[in-house]
Amino acid sequence: MAQVEKRGGLLRKSSASKKPLKEKVVLMYDEIFMTEDPSKCSPRFWEELFLMKVNLEYLEGKLESLDGEELMKIKDNINCLFQHCIQALGEDHPIRVVNALQTLCALIRGVHQKNKSTSGFDIINMLMGFDKAELCMKNLMESLDSLLCAEGSESLKSLCLKLLLCLVTVTDNISQNTILEYVMINSIFEAILQILSHPPSRREHGYDAVVLLALLVNYRKYESVNPYIVKLSIVDDEATLNGMGLVIAQALSEYNRQYKDKEEEHQSGFFSALTNMVGSMFIADAHEKISVQTNEAILLALYEAVHLNRNFITVLAQSHPEMGLVTTPVSPAPTTPATPLGTTPPSSDDEHRLHSGKLCLIILTCIAEDQYANAFLHDDNMNFRVNLHRMPMRHRKKAADKNLPCRPLVCAVLDLMVEFIVTHMMKEFPMDLYVRCIQVVHKLLCYQKKCRVRLHYTWRELWSALINLLKFLMSNETVLLAKHNIFTLALMIVNLFNMFITYGDTFLPTPSSYDELYYEIIRMHQSFDNLYSMVLRLSTNAGQWKEAASKVTHALVNIRAIINHFNPKIESYAAVNHISQLSEEQVLEVVRANYDTLTLKLQDGLDQYERYSEQHKEAAFFKELVRSISTNVRRNLAFHTLSQEVLLKEFSTIS
Amino acid sequence: MGDTVVEPAPLKPTSEPTPGPAGNNGGSLLSVITEGVGELSVIDPEVAQKACQEVLEKVKLLHGGVAISGRGSPLELVNGDGVDSEIRCLDDPPAQIREEEDEMGATVASSTAKGARRQRQNNSAKQSWLLRLFESKLFDISMAISYLYNSKEPGVQAYIGNRLFCFRDEDVDFYLPQLLNMYIHMDEDVGDAIKPYIVHRCRQSINFSLQCALLLGAYSSDMHISTQRHSRGTKLRKLILSDELKPAHRKRELPSLSPAPDTGLSPSKRTHQRSKSDATASISLSSNLKRTASNPKVENEDEELSSSTESIDNSFSSPIRLAPEREFIKSLMAIGKRLATLPTKEQKTQRLISELSLLNHKLPARVWLPTAGFDHHVVRVPHTQAVVLNSKDKAPYLIYVEVLECENFDTTSVPARIPENRIRSTRSVENLPECGITHEQRAGSFSTVPNYDNDDEAWSVDDIGELQVELPEVHTNSCDNISQFSVDSITSQESKEPVFIAAGDIRRRLSEQLAHTPTAFKRDPEDPSAVALKEPWQEKVRRIREGSPYGHLPNWRLLSVIVKCGDDLRQELLAFQVLKQLQSIWEQERVPLWIKPYKILVISADSGMIEPVVNAVSIHQVKKQSQLSLLDYFLQEHGSYTTEAFLSAQRNFVQSCAGYCLVCYLLQVKDRHNGNILLDAEGHIIHIDFGFILSSSPRNLGFETSAFKLTTEFVDVMGGLDGDMFNYYKMLMLQGLIAARKHMDKVVQIVEIMQQGSQLPCFHGSSTIRNLKERFHMSMTEEQLQLLVEQMVDGSMRSITTKLYDGFQYLTNGIM
Repeated sequence: MAQVEKRGGLLRKSSASKKPLKEKVVLMYDEIFMTEDPSKCSPRFWEELFLMKVNLEYLEGKLESLDGEELMKIKDNINCLFQHCIQALGEDHPIRVVNALQTLCALIRGVHQKNKSTSGFDIINMLMGFDKAELCMKNLMESLDSLLCAEGSESLKSLCLKLLLCLVTVTDNISQNTILEYVMINSIFEAILQILSHPPSRREHGYDAVVLLALLVNYRKYESVNPYIVKLSIVDDEATLNGMGLVIAQALSEYNRQYKDKEEEHQSGFFSALTNMVGSMFIADAHEKISVQTNEAILLALYEAVHLNRNFITVLAQSHPEMGLVTTPVSPAPTTPATPLGTTPPSSDDEHRLHSGKLCLIILTCIAEDQYANAFLHDDNMNFRVNLHRMPMRHRKKAADKNLPCRPLVCAVLDLMVEFIVTHMMKEFPMDLYVRCIQVVHKLLCYQKKCRVRLHYTWRELWSALINLLKFLMSNETVLLAKHNIFTLALMIVNLFNMFITYGDTFLPTPSSYDELYYEIIRMHQSFDNLYSMVLRLSTNAGQWKEAASKVTHALVNIRAIINHFNPKIESYAAVNHISQLSEEQVLEVVRANYDTLTLKLQDGLDQYERYSEQHKEAAFFKELVRSISTNVRRNLAFHTLSQEVLLKEFSTIS
Repeated sequence: MGDTVVEPAPLKPTSEPTPGPAGNNGGSLLSVITEGVGELSVIDPEVAQKACQEVLEKVKLLHGGVAISGRGSPLELVNGDGVDSEIRCLDDPPAQIREEEDEMGATVASSTAKGARRQRQNNSAKQSWLLRLFESKLFDISMAISYLYNSKEPGVQAYIGNRLFCFRDEDVDFYLPQLLNMYIHMDEDVGDAIKPYIVHRCRQSINFSLQCALLLGAYSSDMHISTQRHSRGTKLRKLILSDELKPAHRKRELPSLSPAPDTGLSPSKRTHQRSKSDATASISLSSNLKRTASNPKVENEDEELSSSTESIDNSFSSPIRLAPEREFIKSLMAIGKRLATLPTKEQKTQRLISELSLLNHKLPARVWLPTAGFDHHVVRVPHTQAVVLNSKDKAPYLIYVEVLECENFDTTSVPARIPENRIRSTRSVENLPECGITHEQRAGSFSTVPNYDNDDEAWSVDDIGELQVELPEVHTNSCDNISQFSVDSITSQESKEPVFIAAGDIRRRLSEQLAHTPTAFKRDPEDPSAVALKEPWQEKVRRIREGSPYGHLPNWRLLSVIVKCGDDLRQELLAFQVLKQLQSIWEQERVPLWIKPYKILVISADSGMIEPVVNAVSIHQVKKQSQLSLLDYFLQEHGSYTTEAFLSAQRNFVQSCAGYCLVCYLLQVKDRHNGNILLDAEGHIIHIDFGFILSSSPRNLGFETSAFKLTTEFVDVMGGLDGDMFNYYKMLMLQGLIAARKHMDKVVQIVEIMQQGSQLPCFHGSSTIRNLKERFHMSMTEEQLQLLVEQMVDGSMRSITTKLYDGFQYLTNGIM
C-alpha cells in the first residue's frame, strides 16, 4: 500500500514536470481506450498485456473519467479485454493469471463507479456484451472455481476471493447487482465450502470466504430462489460447518480483544471487564487481523448460518471451539451505547452499533428457540467463565469480577440480558431491542419449564431489573408513548413474572427462591400498583391504547392477588409483634406461612411464543444491514486488492 | 480342558500320601499336591522328583524315544494314548507349529533343531519325570511360567514354549508381561521358546499384537539405549508393528466366537460364520500350503480363493491394521501433554472437552479400547462428559467412550458415521417428554426406546447403512416444538372456564420434587471429577445413551478409561497382576475377601490407560463434599444401623478392608492417603495408585511404618473395636493370609520375573523378593499367624504415623 502511494506520488511529480514518463502498460491501456482494435497492428497485444504489471489506479481512473456515452464507444475493446482476462485465467503462468484477476477487478469497479445510475443490464452489456455474457460469466466462474479448489498458490486463491467480493459489492444494494444472476447460475458454493473445510486454506481465506457466503446468501433473498440459501441450509458436513464456526468465532474474539484494548486505553485505571473467553479456550489457529468495523459482516454470517442451517447449531454446540461463539455475539451487545438518560443523543455511529446490537439479539433469539442449542446452553457439564463487559454506572459499584463463577453458558446469556436491561434505559429508548431482549429470556424460561431444568441462577437480579424497567416505563410514560407502544413491553414483563409465579415449581432451583420471588413482588408492590393504575386509567379511556392497556390489566391479576393477600398479613404481623420495619427474614416467614390461603389464576399461553421469522418482520432491517456491509467490504477491498508486491515476489521465484 | 474324568496312570504314585484313587479331576489333584507342598513349606522340584523316580522309570521305557522326536510330537503321542481331554487343545498346535516354523524361517527351525539335539543329549531320568509332570493335567500355566523361568534346560524351555499353545488364551494372557519380560531380558533359549507362541497369537488377534508391541516397548526401555536398539524385544516389536503378522487364516477364529448360524438370518450374516468343518478345512488347507505360505502373494491368493464369495474379506488384506489404533492412542496422549501445560483445572477441563470434540470428527474408526473385555469399535467420545482428574502437576483425565460391540473386530466393518444432529429428531420425540419424569418412571419408559431390540440377532454390519437412512423416517412424526410447549396452556384455553390453582400447591410441588433428587455432589471447579464419579454408572449410561446418535443401536456400550500421560504404569500393572492372583487364590480357597483389581494398559514407560472403577469416589471427596465422618456418611447413604442396606454396606466395607489391608501389607503399598482410597456405592473400599510398592516409598520420609492403613474412622464404620464386625475383620485377615501363604509361589513368581532387567523403584535394592517371601511367614503356625494379625491391627490402630501422614497430605496436597 505504501508502495502504491509512493508510486502514485512519483507519477504525479513527473506529470507536474514536463512529459509524463509512461509505463508500457499504461500505453497499452491507452490503446484499449481507443476505438480501434488494439490487436490490429500488434497481433500479440493481448498476450503481452497480461505479462505487464497491472496499473490499477490508471485503469480504474481512466474508466472513471469516461462518461457513459464515451464508454459505449469503446465497448468492443472493453468486451475484448474482459474476454481475454477470462482466457488468461486458464493459463499456466501464474503471472498472467494474477494480472488478469486484477484487471478484472479494475474493470468491474471502474465500470460501476462510472455508471451508478445505469441499470445492471447496461453494465453487463458494457463489460461482456449481451450475446456473450452468459458464456463469458460461465467461463469466469468455472475458472475461479478451479483456481479456488486447486492445490495452487494461496495468494492466487486470495485474489480470486477478492475478485468475487469485488464483484458482489460493486453495488450498494446487492439485489440490484444483476451480474450476480450469473453467480447464482454458476455456483461457487462448493469452492467456498472446500476452503472452509481445509484447515490451511481456512486459516488463509476463511474470513473472506465466510463474508462472501454471507453476502451471496442475501442476494434477492426474499424475491427469488437463491441457490446459495438452499445449499447452505442443507450442508451437514461437520468439518465444513466446524470450519465456518471457527472463522466466525475467531473474528469475533478478535473484535472483543480490540474492544477491550481500546477501552483500557481510554479508561486507564478503570478495571475493564470484557474478556474474551474465547481466547483461552481456542485451539491454536492462525491469527488474522480484522478491523473493528467489519464485525457486522461476520455477525451476519453467523446469523445466516444459525438461521438457515439446522446442523450449524449442532456443530456450534458440539464442537468446543465454537462455544465462545454463542457468547461472543453477546459481548458486542453490551458495547452498544449505554448512554444514560439525559446525556447526548446517539450519534450515527451509535446507530451502527444499534444495528449490531439488534443483530446479536436476533441471533440469540434463534439460539434460544433451538432445542439443541438450549440443551447445550443448559448443560451442567459444560461450565464457562464468561466475563461480560459491564458499563460503569453511577449507582453501582464495580464488582471485582476476578472471581467469576464457572457456570453453564445460559447463565451468561441471562446475565447479559439483565445487563442490557439495566443499562439501556435512556431517552432514545431502544424499544425494539428491549422487546427482543425480553423475548430471549422468555424463550429460555420456556425451555427450562419444558425440560425441568433447574438452573442455579440468582433470579433476583432479573426480577429487580425487570421491575426497574417497569418503573422507567411509567416515569417516562408521556415521552415514550409518543413513539412506542410501551404496553407490549409491559405485558411481556408482567408475563415473565407470571411464568415464575405459576410455573416456578418446574424450573426454580430451590423452594426458597419461590419465596424470594414473592418477597420481591411484595417489596416492590408500589411499582405494580402504579402500573395497574396507569393501565386501568388508559384502558377505561376510549383512547388509542385502550386494548393494549387492558391486556396488561388482566395480566396483572396474579401479582395483584399476591400483593393484596400478603400485605395485610405483613402489616398485622408487624402490629402484633410491634415492629415498624420487618426484616427480609420476617417477611419471608409470613410468606411461607400464608401460601395456602392464596388462590391464583392459571393464565393462558404463558409458555407460548411466536417463533422468529425473518421474511415478514425483519426484511427491511437485513436489506439495510447488507447495504452497509457491502459498502464496508468494498471500502476495505480498495486497499487489499492493490497490494501486488507479495504476489509478484512469490511468482518471480516460481518462474 | 479338564472336564473329562481321566486318571493319568503315571501320576498316580505322586498322590501316594492320599489314600484311594486320586481325585476326580485335575483340580483336586492340584490341591493334593499343593497341600503336600505346604507341609514341605517349599515347592521343591527335587523332592517331587525323588518321590516319582521309581514310577517314572517305567514311563521312561515307554516314552523315552518320544522325547527325542522333537517338538509337537510328544503331545501327539499322548494324544494317541487316548487322553481325550487333550485332544481339543491338540487340534491346533501341530498344524500351527508347522506353519510357524515355516514362516519363522531358518532361525527358528535351526534353534528348534538345536533344542531337540540338546534334549536328546539330556535324555535322562530327570527329563522323563519332568515330562510326566508336564503332561499331567495339573500342569497349569502358572507352573509353565515358573519352569520356563527357572529351568536352565533349553529342551524344557522349548517344550514349554510349545505347551503354551495348549493353554487357554485368557490364561496365558494374564502372564503376558512375564512372558515378554523373559523374552526381552533372559537368554536366547527362553526367547526362542516363547517367540513362536507370541507370533502365533499376534496373527490371531490384533489386540494381542498391540499389547505385545506396547509391553515390549515399555519393558525394553530400561535397557541401555545402545543395546535396546538391537535387542530381541525391539526387533519383535518392529516385526509386530510392521504389520507383517497379519492374520494368515483368520477365519479359523470365527467359529469359536460366534454361535452356530440361525436359520432365519440375513444372507450377509451367514457369510460371517463358519461351521467347525469349515475351520478344519482351512487348517488342512494351511498345512498343505505351508511351502508357499511365506510368500505374501501366494498367501493372498489363498485368501481370495477361500473367500471368493465374501467381499468383506477384502479388508483382511488391508495393509493398515495397527496404524489407526496407534494413531488413536497417540492423539489421546498428545491431549494429555497439552493439558499439562495449562495452569488451572478449569482451563484443562475446557481444553479437554474441546480437544475431544475434534477427536470425535475422526470417529468411528477401526480403533478399540484395549482395556475392554470384548470386541468393539469406538464410535464416539461424549466429549462433554470427560473430566480432568485430581493431580498436582500431570493431567490424567477420564473419558467415556461409546462403542459398538461386534463379533470380531477384524471382520466386522467399521460402523458408519451417524452425524451428531441425527439425535435432534429423536430428542424432540422421546427425550423431551421424559425430562420431567422422575428417575424411576424414566427407567421404566426407557425400555421402550430401543426399537431394534428384536434385531439383535439379525444385526450385521451391512445394516448400519440402511439404519442410518431409516433413522430420520422413524422419527418424522415428531411434533414441532411449539405444540409441545403449549400443551397445558391449550387445554386450559379450550375449557374457557378460568382455572384456579393454589399458590401453596406450587410451593409444595417445588419442595417435593427437589426432595426426590438423589444426593449428588456439588460442582467444584477445583475437583471436577467428583460430580462425574458420584453419578451412578447406570444413570450415566442411560443419560449418555439418550444423547448419543448411536444410542439406539442394540450393541451400543459405554466404556470409560483414564488416560495417564507422564506416569509409569508398569508398577500398576504389576500390582494389578498380584491383586488378580490374590483374588483368585481367595476365591479358590473360599475366603470372602473382596478386592477390585482394575485393568491397566501400559503404553510406554511413561504413559498408559487405566480402567476406572465405576460408582466409586475417593474418601477425600466423600469427606470434603459431605462434611461428615465416614460413619455418618454410611448412615446417610445406606440408612440407619439396623437396615439391611447399612448392614450389607458394612459387611462389604469390612470384607474389602480386610482384603486391602492384606494387599497393603504383602505389597508394602505406601502413600495411603484418603485421595488414594475409593469408596464405592456398595460400601467397598478400593485402593488405587500403586506408585509406591515393595521397596519404594514416597520421598523416603520414613512415614507410614505401620503395616497398613487403619484409622479410627474405619473402625467406627466396622462398629468399633469391640464389635462383631471388627472380630470378623481380623478373622478374615487371618484366613486370607493363610490362603495366600498356601499359594505364595504363584504370587512371588509374578513379581520375581518382572524384576528381570527392571529399573523400577519397587525393585530397588537386592532384597525385594526375599522380603516379600518373608511377609508370607511360611514358618509360622496358624496360632502365630493369628498373633501376627492382631499385632499388625494393633500397630496400625495406634500408629501415629498414619495420622501424621494424613496430616502431612492435608498440608501439602489439601487432601482430607
